[in-house]
Amino acid sequence: MATTARHSDLATSQMRTGYVLVFPAMLLYLTFVLAPAIVTVVLSFAYYDPQLGSHWVGLDNFKRFFTDRRSVQIFWNTLQFTLFAVTGNVSVGLLLALALNRSMPGWLLYFFRLAFFLPVIIAAAFVSIVWGYFYQDSGIFNYYLNLLGLPTVRWLTSAQTAMPSIVFMDVWKNTGFFMVIFIAALQGVPKTIMEAAIMDGTPPWRRFWRITLPWISPVVFFAVVYASIGALQVYESIWILTKGGPGDTTRSMSINIVEEAFGSFQIGYAASVAVVMTVVILIITGMQMLASSWLVSK
Amino acid sequence: MFNISRRNLLVSSAALAAAASVGRALGQSDASGTIRILMNGGDADLANTNNAIARFNKKYPNFQVSVDMDPISTGWGDFVTKVIGQFASSSQYDIYGTAIETFQTFAARGLMEPIDDFIAKNPNYSDFAPALFEACKYQGKTYFVPTSWNNIMVNYNRDLFDKAGQAYPKADWSWDDFRAAAKALTVKDGSGNVSQWGYEVPNQNFFIQPWFFTNGTGVLNDDWSASNMLDPKVAEVLQFLYDIIHVDGSSPIPGSDTMDNQFLAGQVAMINRGHWIIPNVRNANLNMDVVPPPQKTTQATVVGFGAVGISKGAQNMEAVQAMVAELTGPELEADVAKSGSSVPGSKAAAELPEFLAFPPSAPLYYQTLDYAKAVPSPANFLEVEKIFIRYYTAMMAGEVSIADGCKQADAELNDSFARLKASLGA
Repeated sequence: MATTARHSDLATSQMRTGYVLVFPAMLLYLTFVLAPAIVTVVLSFAYYDPQLGSHWVGLDNFKRFFTDRRSVQIFWNTLQFTLFAVTGNVSVGLLLALALNRSMPGWLLYFFRLAFFLPVIIAAAFVSIVWGYFYQDSGIFNYYLNLLGLPTVRWLTSAQTAMPSIVFMDVWKNTGFFMVIFIAALQGVPKTIMEAAIMDGTPPWRRFWRITLPWISPVVFFAVVYASIGALQVYESIWILTKGGPGDTTRSMSINIVEEAFGSFQIGYAASVAVVMTVVILIITGMQMLASSWLVSK
Repeated sequence: MFNISRRNLLVSSAALAAAASVGRALGQSDASGTIRILMNGGDADLANTNNAIARFNKKYPNFQVSVDMDPISTGWGDFVTKVIGQFASSSQYDIYGTAIETFQTFAARGLMEPIDDFIAKNPNYSDFAPALFEACKYQGKTYFVPTSWNNIMVNYNRDLFDKAGQAYPKADWSWDDFRAAAKALTVKDGSGNVSQWGYEVPNQNFFIQPWFFTNGTGVLNDDWSASNMLDPKVAEVLQFLYDIIHVDGSSPIPGSDTMDNQFLAGQVAMINRGHWIIPNVRNANLNMDVVPPPQKTTQATVVGFGAVGISKGAQNMEAVQAMVAELTGPELEADVAKSGSSVPGSKAAAELPEFLAFPPSAPLYYQTLDYAKAVPSPANFLEVEKIFIRYYTAMMAGEVSIADGCKQADAELNDSFARLKASLGA
């Protein structure tokens, strides 16, 4: 009995210590993550204006979002950006990793890794400003196109080219991050299996599809999920390059939220768009997790 | 330890009393407290504000005045949101420097103190253009004192006009004269690539307005309570600007950046700007002059201006009003004229030699005020501006037809006004 009581006291004491240790982190989480998230959900059902008066509007904000023809366009822009940016970042990152995962002089290897990773550590705002100059009608891209006798391309002022231009810059900036992740994953592929396949005369592309890709598939899915969450929240690069234009052709959901909340002071409506966006991210991430549980090699 | 004798105490008390009476004789106040000011702009504006505080402190030596500057780098929308948040959390400043774009937004929410009595008592303001004070009113009461203003003029590079053999534009030039000049000033190489643009079709709401006003119309109706986008004259303006870009090839499609740098580098011959561009033009040694916007049916331009207002319920009202008097007084107006960042509100300051020294037609800034119209700034200005610019850029880029763009913008603007009316009613 005494032993049991002592054990129980120890367990209680350990539990208490555990709560004390997690309390600061929980407090920070509640204050800066959970509370704002709850307030956002509450605000999405309200018209909020501290001076003119706030009141409940039920589902009106959501009705406005789902009946506004701009919402479809903005939602589609965001999905379009996500699809192309994720595909570009992950596939180019994987190709670069495969290219660099081979024997070459150490200094050359580090040079290439640094060269491709460098854009990742530069602030997105700064990168966007520089690329904004590249993309100008009189910018460096058009300068070389004109030298080749090709017509000037309206990189950022045409609906056809504005989004691809933004995606191109995003891939240039972020693909180095995925390259580093994939290099780490590729170095985990067992050399013995690969050597056995080579001895068997398996061609390189077959080795990639049958050995390398299945082996690194959990990392690939992580990269896809991570890139998707970031792409669905894209803001600063689009804002600096096109401010969402021309018209609405490059406006993302994040830009729309900030504009409605802090540009037009439609706090309640912006909160409802934020809630919709969170649900969309949850659905897309959930679908990707499901797909990964089916497809990733155990 | 100090030993204070009765004699020393008496002498010290007498000296203090004498100092106090000298202070009072010099017009100093015994009152004490703190005043917090939020102004906007850059280094020149901060220097002007600090000069005003120094003058104030001579009269109110026991007041501590602190000033913060907002660069308005992301537009008036963020500024408005910030100010509303400050009032909501009872952390508002005592005095705000702001601009016409925010007047109705602040006044409609009751954030500012009506200051008609203060203005009536201050003789300095009789020198200000009455039109400026008119635009500071909301529902019959005045909430702001104008400090400086900017009206949009066509800024043109005289060297490029000389090179193209073009006569400098006259104050009464027409849209056709303008279009011909823009064409003549556009330089293309053999393969049609442009090395010098005749004009920059503007990308900002404020810069575009003269085109509507000179055609006797506007994006909003006269009392800024509804859209006017379905007026055929609005479409006529937009078609004219579209043709300058796509038919004449005299201007690039307006993007997200302004072309100030290209103008300063001599790559653009004409741009619509206010007086704020003058310090940069001087630094670039550009041979530039200004002319009023060309007219179609009427002579007009647009004016926007900065002003100072007092927060509702500000403490130490007498001292706060004295501070506002310094922030809008003749010395500050002279500082504005010398820095050249805008046109001073006071006519006397706008006639100072430093202000008139450059550009050659500098007197036109004040002269055009007679027919300048205030930039439409309803209480939902932030939303109105965003809606208009979104459709405007799409129309100029040819992504939506002018007829459809006007129709869709009209519907969205009227939705915004309906929401505004509902919220004001609530």
